Formats: sequence, C-alpha cells, structure tokens
Amino acid sequence: MKKRLLFIFALISYAGSVFAQETFPRNDVKDNRAGLFAFTNATIIVDAQTTLQNATLLIKGSRIEQVGANLSVPKGYTTIDLKGKYIYPALVDAFTNYGLPEVERTRGGGFGGVEQMESKTKGAYNANQAIRSHYNAADEFTIDTKVADELRKQGFGAVLTSKPDGLARGTSAFVTLSEKNDNTALVRQKVAAHYSLEKGTSTQTYPSSLMGFIAVLRQTYFDAEWFGSQNPRPFADNSLEGWIQTQKLPQIFAATSWANSLRADKLGDEFGIQYIIRGAGDEYKRIAEIKASKATFIVPVNYPDAYDVEDPFDAERTSLADMKHWDLAPANLGTLEKNGVPFAITTNGLRKTSDFLANVRKAIENGLSEAGALKALTATPAQLLKVDDQVGSLKKGLLANFIITSGKLFDEKTIIHQNWVQGQLYSIKPLETKDFSGNYNLSLNNQTFNLEVTGDPGSHKAKIKINDSTSFDATTTFAKDLITISFKPTKQSTGSVRLSGWSEGTGWKGKGQLVDGTWVSWTATRTGDISKPAAKSNPAEKKEELSKVIYPFTGHGYPSLPVTETILVKNATVWTNESDGVLQGTDVLLKDGKIARIGKNLSEPGARVVDATGKHLTPGIIDEHSHIGAASINDVAANSGMVRIGDNLDAENINIYRALSGGVVAVQVLHGSANPVGGQSALIKLRWGESPENLKIQGADGFIKFALGENVKRTSNASSIRFPQTRMGVEQVYVDAFTNALEYDKKWKAYNSLPAKEKALALKPRRYLVDETMLEILNRKRFISCHSYVQSEINMLMKVAERFNFRVNTFTHILEGYKVADKMKQHGVAASTFADWWNYKWEVRYAIPYNAAIMHREGVVTAINSDDAEMGRRLNQEASKSVKYAGISEEDALKMVTLNPAKMLHLDNQMGSLKVGKSADVVLWTDHPLSVYARAEKTIIDGKVYYDIEKDAENNKVLNAERARLIQKLKNAKRSGVPTQRPDSRSQAEFHCDDVLGEESLEHFEH
Amino acid sequence: MKKLIYILLFVLSTVAYAQPPVPAKPQTKSVALTGGVAHLGNGQVIQNSIIAFDKGKLTIVADATTSRVDLTGYEVIDISNKHVYPGFILPNAQIGLQEVNAIRAMNDHNERGEINPNVRAVISYNTDSEYIPTYRFNGVLLAESTPVGGLISGSSSVMEMEGWNWEDAAHTVDVGIHLNWPPLTRRQFDFSTFTFAESPNRDYEKQVGDLEMFFSESVAYGSQAGKEANVKLDAMQGLFDGRKTLFIHANTSKEIVESVRFAQRNGVKKITLIAGTSALWVSDFLKENKIPVILPATHNLPDRNDDDVDLPFRLPYLLTQAGVTVSISNDKSLHGGRNLAFYAGTAAAYGLSKEEALKTITANTAKALGIDNRVGTLEVGKDATLFVSKGDALDYRTNVLSHAFISGKKIELPGIQEELYNRFSDKYGHKR
Repeated sequence: MKKRLLFIFALISYAGSVFAQETFPRNDVKDNRAGLFAFTNATIIVDAQTTLQNATLLIKGSRIEQVGANLSVPKGYTTIDLKGKYIYPALVDAFTNYGLPEVERTRGGGFGGVEQMESKTKGAYNANQAIRSHYNAADEFTIDTKVADELRKQGFGAVLTSKPDGLARGTSAFVTLSEKNDNTALVRQKVAAHYSLEKGTSTQTYPSSLMGFIAVLRQTYFDAEWFGSQNPRPFADNSLEGWIQTQKLPQIFAATSWANSLRADKLGDEFGIQYIIRGAGDEYKRIAEIKASKATFIVPVNYPDAYDVEDPFDAERTSLADMKHWDLAPANLGTLEKNGVPFAITTNGLRKTSDFLANVRKAIENGLSEAGALKALTATPAQLLKVDDQVGSLKKGLLANFIITSGKLFDEKTIIHQNWVQGQLYSIKPLETKDFSGNYNLSLNNQTFNLEVTGDPGSHKAKIKINDSTSFDATTTFAKDLITISFKPTKQSTGSVRLSGWSEGTGWKGKGQLVDGTWVSWTATRTGDISKPAAKSNPAEKKEELSKVIYPFTGHGYPSLPVTETILVKNATVWTNESDGVLQGTDVLLKDGKIARIGKNLSEPGARVVDATGKHLTPGIIDEHSHIGAASINDVAANSGMVRIGDNLDAENINIYRALSGGVVAVQVLHGSANPVGGQSALIKLRWGESPENLKIQGADGFIKFALGENVKRTSNASSIRFPQTRMGVEQVYVDAFTNALEYDKKWKAYNSLPAKEKALALKPRRYLVDETMLEILNRKRFISCHSYVQSEINMLMKVAERFNFRVNTFTHILEGYKVADKMKQHGVAASTFADWWNYKWEVRYAIPYNAAIMHREGVVTAINSDDAEMGRRLNQEASKSVKYAGISEEDALKMVTLNPAKMLHLDNQMGSLKVGKSADVVLWTDHPLSVYARAEKTIIDGKVYYDIEKDAENNKVLNAERARLIQKLKNAKRSGVPTQRPDSRSQAEFHCDDVLGEESLEHFEH
Repeated sequence: MKKLIYILLFVLSTVAYAQPPVPAKPQTKSVALTGGVAHLGNGQVIQNSIIAFDKGKLTIVADATTSRVDLTGYEVIDISNKHVYPGFILPNAQIGLQEVNAIRAMNDHNERGEINPNVRAVISYNTDSEYIPTYRFNGVLLAESTPVGGLISGSSSVMEMEGWNWEDAAHTVDVGIHLNWPPLTRRQFDFSTFTFAESPNRDYEKQVGDLEMFFSESVAYGSQAGKEANVKLDAMQGLFDGRKTLFIHANTSKEIVESVRFAQRNGVKKITLIAGTSALWVSDFLKENKIPVILPATHNLPDRNDDDVDLPFRLPYLLTQAGVTVSISNDKSLHGGRNLAFYAGTAAAYGLSKEEALKTITANTAKALGIDNRVGTLEVGKDATLFVSKGDALDYRTNVLSHAFISGKKIELPGIQEELYNRFSDKYGHKR
C-alpha cells in the first residue's frame, strides 16, 4: 500500500494544485487537501548539531508539524517508510539571481567618446545611474523552472535572489524553489540590501574606477543622511528613499576578491555597518585580515579548471599565482572554518550548478568539516537572512523544505532521492533502487551461462562469463520489476541473444529471442554474492601536498614576512645626505627599525654583520610620482577630489618587488592626470608581503593630485565634451572649487555655532566630500602635487593658490619649470621632474634634460620621479643624468631621489638621509649608486630586509621548483580526466598618469 | 648704429632659436685622434691609440705604444684620458618619420594597408627632426629609420644622424623589409580582474596564409617572363638574392620558430629577428640557424610576474652565452633612443663584459642590419663615424661627448636643448 501511494504521489507531484491560494479563480471543482505526510524510520538531521536515528517527520501542508524519534503517526497521515534513508533540511543559498532577468552588460561608462555626465535612468531616481536602491527583486521575480530544477538537484529548497546591477543594487527576495506559482515561491520581499564595486549597466561616465565606486557609495551614505533628515524632502529621489528604507536590513556586499572584501569592510566601518560579504573564494590568501574584518562571508565554490600545461611553452605562460590558486581554492572553506570565520556557501559563480555538491565534497576532502559544510548551507544562511523562522532546520512551524537522501549528504555515493519544497515533492531519483548485484545462472535453450551483475543499485553493469578469462559485456536495463538483457553468445556471433523478463524470487524469468530469431524461455537464478575487490588503497592517489600560501600571493611572494633585524653594516661608503657628506669606511647600525649609530669601528652584540667593503650605503630611494600598487588610478570627474588612492591599494602588484630590487623604499601613489583636481594620494612604503593597509605610512600628511594641460583638456579624445577644454577653463575649475569650499565652510560654521536647541531644529548641511577636500587644501591639511608642463599653467596655479592664501606643495613633471624657476622659488613650491623625457606630446616639446639642474640651482627643492614602473626601479640612474648633462654634484643628484622627495612628501623628519633616529630605510649598493653598473644588494625598510640580492636568487630557484611541481600536478590532473583550460598569461595593468580604467593603451606615451 | 646692431643681433639670435644645428661640411682635412682609449667595437681596446681618418674613411687604427705614425698634414686632436668609440647604431627606430606622436600631423611612420614592402622610410625621413641632435649628443650616430604597422610595414633605411636632406643623410637605402609575424594570441583588458588577458588570435591562419601566398608569388614573380610590373612584388626581390634583410618581428617562442622557418622556406637569404625574452627559450634554434636578434631596451620590465626581476637586464648576456648575435634597440617612445648607450651599460652590469656590451650597439647591430662592411667597428677602411667621450660611454656620468664625426664630417653636438639650457642659465645667472 505504501509503495503504491508513493507511486501515485510521484505522478501528481508536479500538478501543483494541492494548496491553492484563496483569492485565485478556479477552473475545476475545489480540490483542497490536507497534505499530511509522515516520514518514518529515517535518520533525521534536524540541524548541523542534531541527528535523530530512526525518527519520524510529520508535515502538514507547506509546514513541518513535528519531528522526533519516538513519534506515533496520527491517523490521516500518509506514511512513507524511509528505513535506511536520511532526511536533511533543504539547503539554502544566500546569494543567487534566480528568477530575475539577466543583466545585460552595456558598453559605455568608460572615458572614450562623448562623456555622459548625467544619469540616463528615466524618472525621479538618483543622480548617479549606478545607485539603484529603489530596485526590489520581489517586483521582477518569476519562477525559472530550469534553474529551479538544477538547484533542487543539488539539495536546495530556497534561495535569496538579487539583481547584480549597480553599486547599490536595491533589495533581494527570499524565494523557494517551488514551481507551483510565483505567489507561493516568493516567501519574503526586501530581505537584504545589496551593494557591490561593479558599475553594472550604468553608462554614466563617473565613476569609472574602483576608488570612484567606493567614493560614490561613501558620498551616498552622506547624501541619504542629509536627504532623510528633511521633511518634506528637498526633491524626489526614489533611489535615496530606497536606500534609507533598507538600512535596517542585512547589508550584503558582493566582492570579487579578498582585496575588495577588505575594501568593502573598511567602507562599512566608516558608517558603523557590518556588511555580510559575498566573497570570491580566495579568502585563504589573506586569512588574518579576512578574520579581522569580523564579517560573515558567503563563499562560492567556483574552483578554476586545471590549466593545460602539456606544452612547456604554454606552461611558461601560466603564472605561479594561478597554478597555486588552482591547487588551493578547494582548501579555502577549510581555512575559513579553521580560523573561525563564519560563512555560508553559495552556488554563485559556478559555471555549472551541477558541480556544486561535488565541489563542496572537494572542500571537505581539503579540510572542511561535514558539520561545517551543512551549517554553511542551512542554519548560517537562514540566520544571516533572518529567515531561520522559515528554513535552515527541521523544526515545527518551519517550511516543509527537506531532502531525502540515500546516505550522508556529503558522501560521494549518496543519492538525493527527493526534494520537498513547501510540502510538495520533487522527485529526483527513485526512492527504491533494488540491489541486483550478484552471480546468476542464466539458463536458456539448454545452455547455462554465468551472469555477473556488478556495480551500485541504479547503475548496474552485467557480464556473461564463459570462463575465467573470457567474458562478454551484456547490455542490461533493470527496472524495479523488469529486466532486459542482450549479449553475444559466442565470440564469433554476429548477432545478440535478447531477453526480456520479470523478477521472480531472487532471480528472473521471461521470454527472449536467440540470434536466429527463435523464441525461447529463460530463467536466471541467483547463486551468490560477487566477490568484492578489496577497497582500493592506491598509494598513487594519495593526496599530494598542497601549496603554501605566500605573501603576497604572486611569484616572488614570501612564505613569511621579513622581521626587524639588528644589522651592522661595516666599512661602507656612506652617503649621509647630511652635512657629513659622503663618509668612507664607515659603519652604520640599524636597530629596532631605526638608524641607531653611524661611525667607525662600531660593534653591537647579536647584530647581523654585513661586510660592505667596496660597497655604498645610501638612504632608500623615494619616488614622488608613482602609480604602482594601486588597482585603479584615474577617475573622470573634472574635480575628483573625493576619490582616494588609499581606498584601492594593490599590495599584490609585482612592480612593488621590482622597485625594491632597484632600491626604492617608498613612493607616493598618485591619482592620474585626467582631471584638474585628481584624487587623494597614498604614501606607502614598499613592505612587500604586507596587507594593503600596512603599506601606508602612518601619520603621513595628506596629498592630492592636481593636473594641468593636455590631459585634463582631454586632448587625446577628440569628441570629449567635458569642461574644461582650454587652459582658461582649467583655471576656472580651481577658482570655482576653492570658492565653493569657502562657502561650504561658512555654512557648516554657521550650523555648528548654533545654540544646542536651535541646532536640534535646524537643517544639518549636507556633507560633500569634494568641498571638504578643497577645504583641507585651504586649511593646509592636504597638499597638492600638480602635474604640469608649460610655464603659463605653472604660473597660473601659483597665482590661484596665492589668491586663496595657500601654497602649491609640488609641481610634478614640471618640464618647463626651468622657464619659471625664479617664480617657483619665490612661491616656495618644490619640483619633481623627469630626467630626460620629452616630445611625446606637444606640451613637452621644449623639455630639456637640464631642467632639474636649473631649478635646483635656482633654489627650488628638486626631485626626479618616474611615473613609470620601469623607470621607477632605476631612479638612481635617472638622477645621474643631471650629473651627465648639467654637471651638478653627485651628492645633490642622489638627494634628488632620496632627501628631496622626502622633503616634498613631508617625510624628511623620518626618511631621506642617514641620521641617527631616522627610520632604517636604506639601500646597500654593489657600486657607486649613480653608476649604471650599481645593483641594489639589500633594500631595507624599517630595519627589515625586503629585498636581498642573494635571497632573491635562492627564491627564484624555489619559485621554479614550485612551478615545476605544480605543472606536474596539473598534468596528473589532466590525465585523471578533469576539465582543463587554456593557459592564460594574465598580466597586471601598469598604470601611468593618463590611464583610465579599462582604457590603458598598450603604448603609454602620454604622461 | 651700435644699438641697431645689437637689436639686429638679438633678432637674429631669436630666429636661430629652435633651429636644429647646421649640418657639417664634408671632411677636407685628415684628422688624427691621439692618446685616447679606443674601444674598437669588436671587443678590442687600445689604451693609447691613434685613430686617423681621411675623406670620411678610417685610415689608421693603431696602438701608439707599439707603432710610430707620421701625422704630418693631419689635424691632430689630443684626446688623452678620453675614450673613442665607433658611432652607436640604433636599429628599428621611427627616427625622422615621427615627431610628436600625440599629434596626428606629425606622424609619417605607419602607412595604411597590411602588405607594404614598397613603402620606403627614406622618403619621409625628416633631417630636421629635433630628436637627431639629442641622439648624437649621446653617441648615436646612425639609426635605422623604420616604418611600422600591418603585416609587412615597409622598407627601412639606415640614416646618418647628419645631413641637409634625406639623400644626403642616407647611409644605406632600403636595407631591409619589416615583417610583423601575426601573434598567436591577442591581449585584451579584462574589466572583472583589472588585468590583461590573452585570447587566441582567430585570424592567425588566414594572416599566415596571406603571407605564404605573397612570398611565394614574390619568388615566382622574380622569374616570370613578360610579367606585368607590380611595385609590391618588385620591392620584395632583394630578399631572395641577399641584397635586403628580412626583419621579422615575433613575440612568442612558437611565433619565432614559425616565422623563421617560413622565411627560410621561401628562400629569404638574410634574416634578422626582432624579439624579446621569448628568444631565450629558442636560443639553440637561433644559434643553429645563425639568426641575429635585435632585443628591446634592457630598460624594460619582465614580461611575466614570475620572471626573475632582472631578466630584461640579463637578457643580452643570456642570449650571448647561448651563442646568439645580440643587439639592442629602443622599443620605447622615440626620445628614449638617446639612452641606447645605457641600455648596453645595463647589459654590462648584468653579465656581459663592457666590450661585449659595446658590441650590442655597434658591431652586432651593423651585422644585424647588413652594413658591417662599412660601420660598427673602428677598422681601417670603414666609415669615419665615431665619437670621443670623457670616459666610459656606457655609463651616465662619463658619457659626455667632446667630438663626433660622421663619415669624417665634424658635427656640432649642442642642439636646441643645450641652447635653452644656456639661455635660462644666463637668465638666472647660473654658472654652467
């Protein structure tokens, strides 16, 4: 009886009219049923902690009625005996776009062609097209049966769905994978508010950089606060209304890398918001920082395919980082668990949903606990989304969302038989699959064959054995009660014997046709079990050792970070950059990260002694103008003062290590030169291997990029419409910006000076980050480094600054500085220039390699900069060009890449010269530091050796050995039949002044 | 009247401003440079040398400590404590074809079309290019003016960095044809990862097919009776009898092998490869096939993150060790050509001896360009194209030229940049 019921059940399960909505019209007689089912004798996993043996689950309609070990089934319930089976709560995916329209990727939003200054969204929406907080997934959700089926097959019963479009993406909906109708499947709307660092379909020009995306979100928090404080509103903005209304919901941020996860978390910290972060599956690369974020992560299991590295030339193109990630990605979840980072697991990011459980199993093989996996797929997502009153465990009152499996969910052989969603069955694999394996005597036509059936229920294979060495494969199909067999009776036979039959006792009987078509009767009698081969213990398949995480996660990363050492440099030629000048045969002691002593015949117990006979010790090189170590460097608003390079540092950039190998210890990472007012700089030390935040020089003054001339006029873009288009307009951008900043200051001062009572009633002015940045400049809290070329514009900015009563800190590039060096000296501005670049565009036609020398001789603090990752690692050589061309002294030349840039970055109290008490940021050179033959032997920052020429050679060997090991592992993986991908030699973008996100031309002539 | 003269002088000097130096007159008198350290460019050094030349050709290259030479009638220039070098040669440059590259009107280096062997650099060569004085100032006295673009960019010519017009400045017209071998993969920016990603070049087969057809038809055209004249096919003829060199630009190891085999199969007699690090992986192949390689500037970043940080610096050494003839070019913006000496200096800092490094911008370059019978070393009979430097010309502080001669013509070294230096130093009263 039970069996029959189940059979009927399977048939009606998709009909879906069992629990009709009250308000809906009917096109039949009324057919409301109670939906009372009892699942008995099952192993019930109530939640990740609780398992009940031999237990019963009662459901009523769409809800769970009761769960327990010793329940008696009340009358009126249809009982389903699940002896030997398991019941799990259905899985929950906290990050999908299930049932929502595809987001079409639109072109545009870049910086080529005619700029789009305003949003193109029709209606009363936000000024920025990428702020879409007005959007609600519930408004567009509709069942997608194909995707629902794929997800149910992986054990899911309900998912969160949101539309991946925009920086602020509006709200998500919580829906089940029911196919009944949309009204049933949509369980809760406005479940969470979503954000990202992707612009989506926005075609608006601003923002177009990663730091711009962050800046827009930051400003929107302020805008929403201001907007929301006013009743009536100053104008209509549906997006801001949406933003305001959804702040109390769980806030989910979609990040595409561990670095973006940290960036998002940091943004949240500014506003007291703890985002839930959809991670990228690479969190293991920076697990300490990930843990410190205190965020809960929603983590994908989208491991990369193995690279096809059969061809050694192709293998060369695959980076160590990519190969390591292939190796380590499956260990990511285990690492998160071991470090106590809370997480849910998502199907998001998988190319094929059907890989999901297999990939979770890989995570378990690589260290994730089964309980941890289950929790991350049930309770954790349910709690995160505040829907644990609906899903995530098997408890009374929750939705009847559960799966019936043949065994433990994460065992490789386990089959998901059924997936019940809201009390409705979705059948996946038959519940009853009989095990037919064994040996049989097959008799027909007076002949007896030995029939051997092997394999697991549901996927049996059969053979006809003639003797021990000869056998023929038989084609068989097994149904519950029926069997079909066909086989070749002899080796020579051209046809097959074909039999059809039915089960009878432990065997079968039936009718069939011989090769010649003769009908015969046949029987097969079970004679016993097949002897099972011993469990495979193949030593070759034993897990290979996993890669080690290196810092940063790229070739030349370190297995552990350098530590502060006590180093005694003996008998060096010491370039002090102080009044002592160049000291011969001198010792320098570095201790506790500082320069401790300078003198002759020093000794220090326990110090590491470095014999520097014949070598030169100089202060570390400082590059006033660099773009290494940032993920993006240009945004596009004419005044981009709100964007911050420090929001998007990239500590993984190989050019940091390359610069270290050229003796560079610190750089100013500048915004690009696409705008009169660029973004805020970051001053970093090249602490290779540290996290992005740890690169920053703590306590350093704030700086900002300004730019003049052809780049900001958008000369290279003939169709540009952006104001300004002339040098006349450029001046007006500044006058306007500083004038507005003063007005802004007045407004806030007026507000802040109100008595408390009046203040409580008054409208608090809007915080506007652009004006605040300009005000910082006026208040001498932020300092300008201005990209400049021709004398007219140099003169102009000095006059604007003088009019607003401040001084320009530095002119950078400043190739015609030699024409106005006297005026610069008078203004008190520093100059940071190229040694010998010229003629790559019109405004640098009259650049000369004597520029630095003339400005220096006129008394301007002068530096040589790079703006280029290649030149940036040879700045000592660039400095020596002033000796060659203009005959300035060697000491003055060296200062142009050490002490002078330290001065213009206000770091000369701690860097730039060899003086007791200053930071131990030094370089040991093999030769005269201005010689083309000099190589940096050791580059030391804070007393830590970040580059060592000998260690580098050793590490190269380790790197190549690790590459070789991974290449072998990849080859083995390919042989084992896993899918592979073409080697892809990705290279990091190298940024120059004029580069805008996604438009880095391969030739970088415009600086 | 005096005032008037001053005013006139002032006006004249303003006019003179922003004009390149006046070209030199042909050599009329024999010149002997005595007492300098001569770097011959072939690996040899003469510590105390006599270098003499007449009518534009070297007549004496001798060691003053072992040979006595009668210098009567010579203009003798004492260069004791100084160094004398053969003029550096810059290969594969757009010199004279391009000025301010950001301005469309100032570009003459890239003709439209894919197959342009008939397009000739010498025709566009601008002797008044402001780059030229800056090159000479640092010892670059010869350069290969080279078109770019398409599959076959055109014909290059070696130019002297001196002359009234392109005929005057031409050293060797149409030395070779430049072939850009199609890349197997293309590079594209990937927004999602902020990196450049590679994808296969779907046109590769077709592009190679077009080249195969064009080369085989060029060969056939050479022996066709009663042919219809074809300027493109005419331009190709020198490749099959060794008059011209085929310069192959190829990126990856596979492209190098495929392109060189392609040229050999089609009967090209002289092949020079222009490639980077990838040449290293097929160095045996290049050595066995005697293919000289022109490398990019050593002042480059490694191609790949995993590469040794100093790989571009060591590349000339590594390839030389492998038995390949190596020369160095400037693959950066045109202004970088004046730093050619320091690219070689860097090669010397990373493995090569200084004299081996010198070869990569003199003798080896001359070989790669097929002009080694005339230039590249200081040898009797060769062009008197040489310069005198304060010291080691491969290092910054000592690469300071006092004299330079191109085919015996004594050239003026300061250019506009020096003029501006003088002008503004004077304005501020600086001592120079």
